[in-house]
Amino acid sequence: MNHLDLVRLQEELSAQGILMSFSGPFSHSIIEELGVAVKHYLESAQVARSALMDVFAIYIEQAQNVRNYIGRWEQDPEQARLSRSGIVVVAREGERYVVSSGNLVDRADIPPLVAHLERVRALDKAGLKVLYWQQMRQPLNDRGGAGLGLIEMARKATVPLEYALSAVDEQYAFFSLRVVI
Amino acid sequence: MENLMIEASRSSPTIRFDAEKRLLSIRGESYPENAAAFYTPVFAWLKTFLGHLEPAASVRVDLEILYLNSSSTKVMLNFLDLLDQAAQAGTRIVVNWHYDPENEAVLECGQDFSEELHALTFALVETPQEST
Repeated sequence: MNHLDLVRLQEELSAQGILMSFSGPFSHSIIEELGVAVKHYLESAQVARSALMDVFAIYIEQAQNVRNYIGRWEQDPEQARLSRSGIVVVAREGERYVVSSGNLVDRADIPPLVAHLERVRALDKAGLKVLYWQQMRQPLNDRGGAGLGLIEMARKATVPLEYALSAVDEQYAFFSLRVVI
Repeated sequence: MENLMIEASRSSPTIRFDAEKRLLSIRGESYPENAAAFYTPVFAWLKTFLGHLEPAASVRVDLEILYLNSSSTKVMLNFLDLLDQAAQAGTRIVVNWHYDPENEAVLECGQDFSEELHALTFALVETPQEST
């Protein structure tokens, strides 16, 4: 890549209000490092503590969701494309912060994901709290997941969760999630 | 019984469980890669500790949590449930949930937990403000 490409890439990131982004194979230590960077950035921008922690929390939930999903295929060389497909982005849009993430998903996993998202999107804050506590009483899955991440994000978000699925090929689609704080 | 001491990492809290003083504290942020795996030794210690207490012993638990990810929140509820069961069986248990009033999520989380616990004493304690 030559210098001009980097300049253009930075201009593109800046035009979209992107403060921080990571695309590629996620590790837990990358999630930690970027999380610290997100906090430092928001502290230097004098964002109030509660808002800062909401952005941080939503970043962590999304980054860990992406990692937990694509990490299943880490040991499978045939699925390298999937395990490298993660992206997480923290952006500013006017007065709001937006955390987005995306990754390839196996088409077989789409129906339960969409059903869960639509259930969460349909609830108001009181309904989300009820669902959250129902889910709290379920055991953790074998990967340490709680099934709480999307509900937790929806409780902190200022507008309902937004998501999109774009067709990639017969096996995969690209899932993206956008959470406005 | 040995104490349990776990130093903090960037994504896991400091754990200081003193069996003799019956003083348990967890301080810091919790978003480890696998919360169930990280807290396994913590639960093992707690179960042994509660199983060996004298009748009507008292235990103090200080939780100064700055951030819990969703799986750590679930683990924390399980931790508090175990303490609540011990309190139902007669152990005197006080849990102090320390919160910074500027970090609303921590206070709300403590309020949510307090609604789920019945036998132990759960106190919301405001941490003194740092002067800047």
